[in-house]
Amino acid sequence: MIIFLRELAKNRKSFIIWTVVMVLLNLMMMSVYPTYADNAKKMQEMLENYPEGFVKAFGMGNLDLSQILHYFGVEAYLFITLLGSIYAMLLGSSILSKEESEKTIEFLLAKPVTRNTIVTAKGLCALFYIALFNAILVAVDYMLFEMFKKGDYSMNLFLLLSAAPFLLHMTFAAIGFVISVFIVKAKSVYPLSIGVVLGLYFLSIASAVSDKLENLKYLTPFEYVSASRLLTKERIEPVYLVIMLCVITLSVAATYVIYNKKNISV
Amino acid sequence: MKVIEIKNLSKFYGKSRGIIDVSFDIPEGEIFGFIGPNGAGKSTTIRTLLNFIHPSAGSAKIFGMDCFTETEKIKKEVGYLPSEVNYYDDMKVKDLLAYSAKFYKKDCSMRIKDLSNIFELDLNKKIDELSYGNKKKVAIIQALLHEPRLLILDEPTGGLDPLMQNSFFEVLKEENKKGVTIFFSSHILSEVQKMCDRVAIIKEGKILKVEEIDKLRANKYKKIKVEFNDAEQVNILSLPGMMKVERSGKAVEFLYSGKIDAVIKLLAEYGVENLWIEEPSLEEVFMHYYEKEGK
Repeated sequence: MIIFLRELAKNRKSFIIWTVVMVLLNLMMMSVYPTYADNAKKMQEMLENYPEGFVKAFGMGNLDLSQILHYFGVEAYLFITLLGSIYAMLLGSSILSKEESEKTIEFLLAKPVTRNTIVTAKGLCALFYIALFNAILVAVDYMLFEMFKKGDYSMNLFLLLSAAPFLLHMTFAAIGFVISVFIVKAKSVYPLSIGVVLGLYFLSIASAVSDKLENLKYLTPFEYVSASRLLTKERIEPVYLVIMLCVITLSVAATYVIYNKKNISV
Repeated sequence: MKVIEIKNLSKFYGKSRGIIDVSFDIPEGEIFGFIGPNGAGKSTTIRTLLNFIHPSAGSAKIFGMDCFTETEKIKKEVGYLPSEVNYYDDMKVKDLLAYSAKFYKKDCSMRIKDLSNIFELDLNKKIDELSYGNKKKVAIIQALLHEPRLLILDEPTGGLDPLMQNSFFEVLKEENKKGVTIFFSSHILSEVQKMCDRVAIIKEGKILKVEEIDKLRANKYKKIKVEFNDAEQVNILSLPGMMKVERSGKAVEFLYSGKIDAVIKLLAEYGVENLWIEEPSLEEVFMHYYEKEGK
């Protein structure tokens, strides 16, 4: 509990900045929706003139952007998944490794705590902030939907588009968590984390655009929760759900095991 | 009761040496020196005791508890002063000390106040802004605030000015009187000589010797300097047990481990202008020790 509270305080500032930026982005995107919906027909025609690859890349192929859910899925949802994943991965990969890169781990390990306690407290703190981040965005988006909607929308699908990013963020945070056991230097951890997220994002675009690369979709969690997939299937497909839950479980378990075995000298 | 028991402890980093077959015991209430040059394995030994790193072989116990499986319990009673001090850059001194105190579930506020008075430390400063010496003071208070029964000090005096060093040694002696055992690792012989009851000498990962400070020095060696009337006589003086002989002008200086009587009788036959027989400093004893082992 001592370490958990300390981590809450330490990571509060970055949480606030990320959340405020995301709320503003969502607000900006959704406030354009009414104008967009009014001109939906023109927009649709315009989209049809775009190259097919472009439309596919942004997952707009089978979406009707005059519907608020579909519009949200292409616009704000993209930022929630992409930027949110960067935040989650940075949080997950730095929360444990920071003690080592800043050499404060010698202080912490000299206290009467086990390494399991340290991993648990920090993991829970990351979970807490990622959950809160998502909860705030869901609440804000719900209000924006109510404010700007042109007709009824499916509450179930809205909740699906709200839950999926949380799962995605947790997947990235867990990957970051286990990576940071091996790589502790801040100057390596940050670029690596951002690189992994962006890399997987571009992989999802590539797999959407090219038929040859289609099978790569199994490798990138962005594809698991892409808005067009969720809105057409109306659920997270079980195979993807299982993959994400396995990645999270295995990463966290590996973090505990390896962190306990590790020689920590600064 | 033994506070620290180390048996055949070894640590290799891949193939490179950390420590090899280190064994020694420290009874309760002792101030135990741990001395050796940089890179000899002092910090490796300490980090293994504190379970920061895992040993390749051997065992270690503190208060009879296993250092590797019961480290959490052990650390309730241990204060550790690291050689390099690194703290959270967003904290003030008082935040860090309060954070530290929370782990021990007792009220340490009086103790923090007393100690910060002794060391003249401003609790409201940001740790980031402190000088090296002042950071070291934070680390000292942090190691002492929960009144541990064992203090593990790794190069404790670095950065402290001589006045602060004295206050620090006073505090340590005070603690020791209360029954606190102190494990004092250093490469500075004079401070070990001043503080410690016994000392272990480590070199290249191996313990060379564990000995009482007094014995180590007094019994074996005398430092002798002779000044002759005539420079020619300088080369006459040659006895078994002479070491580190330095001849310059009319004087000869050496460490001697034989009978003093033999020297006096030999010297009686020559014209001696001046004669000094002294206790060698620990430095001289150790330097000799290291050189001999090195060959």
